[in-house]
Amino acid sequence: MTITGEVGAWNARGNSAPAVVARGLTKVYGQGDAAVHALRGVDITFATGAFTAIMGPSGSGKSTLMHCLAGLDTVTGGQVHIGDVELTGLGDKQLTLLRRERIGFIFQAFNLLPTLTAEQNIRLPLEISGRQADQVLFDRVVETVGLRDRLAHKPTELSGGQQQRVAVARALISKPQVIFADEPTGNLDSRSGAEVLSFLRTSVRELGQTIVMVTHDPVAAAYADRVVFLRDGLLVNELVQPTPQSVLDTLMKLEA
Amino acid sequence: MLKTTLAGLRAHKLRLLLTSLAITLGVGFIAGTFVLTDTIETGFSRKFSAAADKIDVVVLPGETSDEPAVPADLLEKIREVEGVADVQGVVRGSAPLIGKDGKAVGDYPTAAVSILKGRLNRTEITSGTAPEKPAEAVLDANTAKTRGFAVGDTVTVLDSEGAKHEFTLVGLFDVGLDQELAYYGAVGFTAETAAKMTGQKGFREIDVAAAEGVPAETLRGSVSAAVGSGVEVKTGKRYAEDLAKANGADTKVLTLGLLLFGFVAMFVAALVIYNTFNILVAQRTREMALLRCIGATRKQVFGSVVLESAVVGLVSSVLGLLTGLGLGAGALAVISRTGLEVPTEGVALAPRTVAVGMVLGIVVTVVAALLPARAATRVAPIAALRSQVEENTFRAGVLRLVFAGLFLAAGAGVTAFAVSTGPGESELFMAMAGGAVTFLGVLILGPVMVKPLSAVAGWVPRRLFGVPGRLAVDNSRRNPKRSATTTVALTVGVALMTLISVLTSTMRATYGAKLDEQFPVDYMVQVQGDEGSFPRALAEDLRTRPELASVVALRRTDAKAGAKGNEFEVGTFTPAAGFSPKATTGSFGDLKPGTVAVGDEAAKALGVKVGDALPVTTTKDGEVRLTVVALFSEADALIPEVTVPHGDFDRYFGALDDGAIFANVKDGVAEENARKAVEAAAQPYPTAMVISSTELRGEFDEALDMMLMIITGLLGLAVLISLLGIANTLSLSVHERTRESALLRALGLTRPQLRRMLSVEALVLGVIGALVGVALGVVFGWAATSTMTTGVIFQLPAGQVLAFVALSGLAGVLAAVLPARRAARASIVDSLAAG
Repeated sequence: MTITGEVGAWNARGNSAPAVVARGLTKVYGQGDAAVHALRGVDITFATGAFTAIMGPSGSGKSTLMHCLAGLDTVTGGQVHIGDVELTGLGDKQLTLLRRERIGFIFQAFNLLPTLTAEQNIRLPLEISGRQADQVLFDRVVETVGLRDRLAHKPTELSGGQQQRVAVARALISKPQVIFADEPTGNLDSRSGAEVLSFLRTSVRELGQTIVMVTHDPVAAAYADRVVFLRDGLLVNELVQPTPQSVLDTLMKLEA
Repeated sequence: MLKTTLAGLRAHKLRLLLTSLAITLGVGFIAGTFVLTDTIETGFSRKFSAAADKIDVVVLPGETSDEPAVPADLLEKIREVEGVADVQGVVRGSAPLIGKDGKAVGDYPTAAVSILKGRLNRTEITSGTAPEKPAEAVLDANTAKTRGFAVGDTVTVLDSEGAKHEFTLVGLFDVGLDQELAYYGAVGFTAETAAKMTGQKGFREIDVAAAEGVPAETLRGSVSAAVGSGVEVKTGKRYAEDLAKANGADTKVLTLGLLLFGFVAMFVAALVIYNTFNILVAQRTREMALLRCIGATRKQVFGSVVLESAVVGLVSSVLGLLTGLGLGAGALAVISRTGLEVPTEGVALAPRTVAVGMVLGIVVTVVAALLPARAATRVAPIAALRSQVEENTFRAGVLRLVFAGLFLAAGAGVTAFAVSTGPGESELFMAMAGGAVTFLGVLILGPVMVKPLSAVAGWVPRRLFGVPGRLAVDNSRRNPKRSATTTVALTVGVALMTLISVLTSTMRATYGAKLDEQFPVDYMVQVQGDEGSFPRALAEDLRTRPELASVVALRRTDAKAGAKGNEFEVGTFTPAAGFSPKATTGSFGDLKPGTVAVGDEAAKALGVKVGDALPVTTTKDGEVRLTVVALFSEADALIPEVTVPHGDFDRYFGALDDGAIFANVKDGVAEENARKAVEAAAQPYPTAMVISSTELRGEFDEALDMMLMIITGLLGLAVLISLLGIANTLSLSVHERTRESALLRALGLTRPQLRRMLSVEALVLGVIGALVGVALGVVFGWAATSTMTTGVIFQLPAGQVLAFVALSGLAGVLAAVLPARRAARASIVDSLAAG
């Protein structure tokens, strides 16, 4: 499973600068007594070409962090940069265009439009932004995720694992600056989950893709190059070159 | 279970309201119809009974008598009856009022009435006094106003012989609810003058007042004994009741006509309700499954949906009744503004209206929700645990295709048979019944047709609106059943509108062509009301005018013809270049002395065909036996139903005056010069009316346009309801696709693009509905016109039809505004988290 050819161009997008940077990020829901501080000042940098997992107990703010980083939600305070663009202060239209051009998404479920075939779903982001799909890249991505014979199928005719693989292919096809994955294996059995995770890792290793993944599964997190831990809206720990065991141990310490 | 349902309804007030609106409008229209006609009816009967208070006994012409008048000599006989305090005869006839331009006013001669004196007088003098002397007259207030007469003026009125008489206008009166007087305009005289002016020998009625203490019924008996048979004697009370009843029959026609539109609206509302409940049930699959999981039986689930529909029906019916009250009052206000005399007081909801409205509203809602409720019971408890909403995969079942095929074949067959049989009333009904059956076929076939039709309707948007456009077209056919029901509701209104517009434009074209072919004249001079004649000198004068090319005079009289000796209109026309009636069999070229041409209807009644002999009783020549040489269409030709050569006519009946004159303008003469010439010739004859063919056509066009406008307006309600259906379906679909929309937004679809996606979906739905409607409307409009009369020139009002399609699409877009706004405003993060 090697991907050659355009890899150079892909990587050339600037290895030096970080893909995503957040400074003093805060997020408060509600007001007064009912206020919930989901993020209490997070400083974090995601290096280009790295696979980072965000972990933390339920309610730690990991999903909120991802939504803020991806421009899906507004922040209360602090700054977020995707590449050289600062997200905070952008209007809905500019945020939408930014997502369109620079960000890929993989969600836990309901990743695909039921009316479109697998191929149409994969090409959707490109079509929305009015770009032509690079046929060579398309073929390779499809080959990589092993969907060649499933392209004409509708999502309802695909298994959960296949659906997530389509979602991965869709995220890869537009060559985004960063892919945000929200519990991408949460709904899958362990075998399908492992497949999807190795595709993600392969795309980082061989295409230089930057991926930020939120998960609560130590095994999934261990596929990443680096794991950051959140608790009560604060960054509390991080591991480089994690293993399932080291992730689990860190989590246990956090919960204690 | 009851609590759960009610809590659910309370939680979704807005949804409830939107759903209710469809039924509210339908019930409102029906209730409004009743309010309108009830008010008119009560108003009339109140006026009638008020009038009856003044009269104790009335003597009316007998039903069987040939001459509808009460003999004058009865007046004196009644005066001698014991217990009679006063008795007066009512004279009514016609007496043309001459306007300030020297011509008789209006298209018909003014009615002339006698104004009674004392207690028996039912006429309300609004200004001035009642006529007391032979040289005094009163005028109805409306005619006085439009013709510019005021109390104190001198007015000229023609008597039955056409002689002019001058009167001093001493007062104005209100015609009240007398439609006949209101329509023709009326001039009132003393009883003697009225009799003299109208030439009436008898009375329209004789009114009798009883002496103090004599009961009306007793008096009726003694009057009845005095006058003998041949006339009808009634008490005043009974007379008022009969008048009210006769009037009630008139309002009944109005009621039925309006109710027809009300039922169309209710049918459309039922489709909307059915669809809404279907979607609601589909969306609440998990809720239903959860209820089943915790122990609710199928029956309870069914009951909860039915209960919900009953509550919706109840609420919307109540709102509908209130709407109806407003609509009825509004309609009355509008009608009275147009100058028609209608009662506007005492607008109220009769108990019958409330009952009909409530029952209809609730029953239609509940029945429409029955199938969705049954679907709800099929939800398996395990569905509560499934997270992904299942996509509705629709397959055209064999049963559906078979039934649709049967209905379509039956509908087409019946219609084709009716069309091939030819024009006739029963054929028209047959064709329309075929249309209804075909519509049912289309209704069944709907889901199958959505896919190909959305390809057609979506062809342009798909190419024009990029990704949102393509997604929208896909969405429009994603749930074929839902789309079909949504669009069929619109189809009903559009089909009927198209049908009416095809009918009117075809009638316009057909009439226009017939006018050109059979009425190749530019001007027609006829007597006001088309009854009577004018001297031959008028035609002679016209013949001398250099502006005119040819002048044809028509003469006619009534004479007995045929073996049975029934009366027919026998007449002739003076020949002139360019005027040649068209024969359906035989030829007008053979119309030589001793022959006759007969109209198709008359020929049927007489049982004659070309070559037969027709006996005609003449006044000067005894009975003559004429040979039939031509038959012609009475509807198309302008000549009398039994037409003889003009030389023969004079010999048979003497030198009668002309009844009508046709004149053609010489080529190159300006329209206004020709008109001036004809009018100058007609000026000495006050009752000679000049009608131009362009005016005639204009009047016909106006009447058609008016009809088209009223019917389209009434059908607009059904269209409005179906638009509510589109809005409802869309907003429910938007709700269903919350996560999908969020996904698209996350992938980079902007808010305007998302809004556009939903608008295009609505546009496609609207256009699908309109396409089917237009197709049905055109086909059955054609079927209707070809079963109505012969020689139809089918005319497709392409502009109007295109406008219907465009407006339907536009209306769909309008219906999508709110749902689209809501979808675009939703937060992506919240929507992604949603169920």
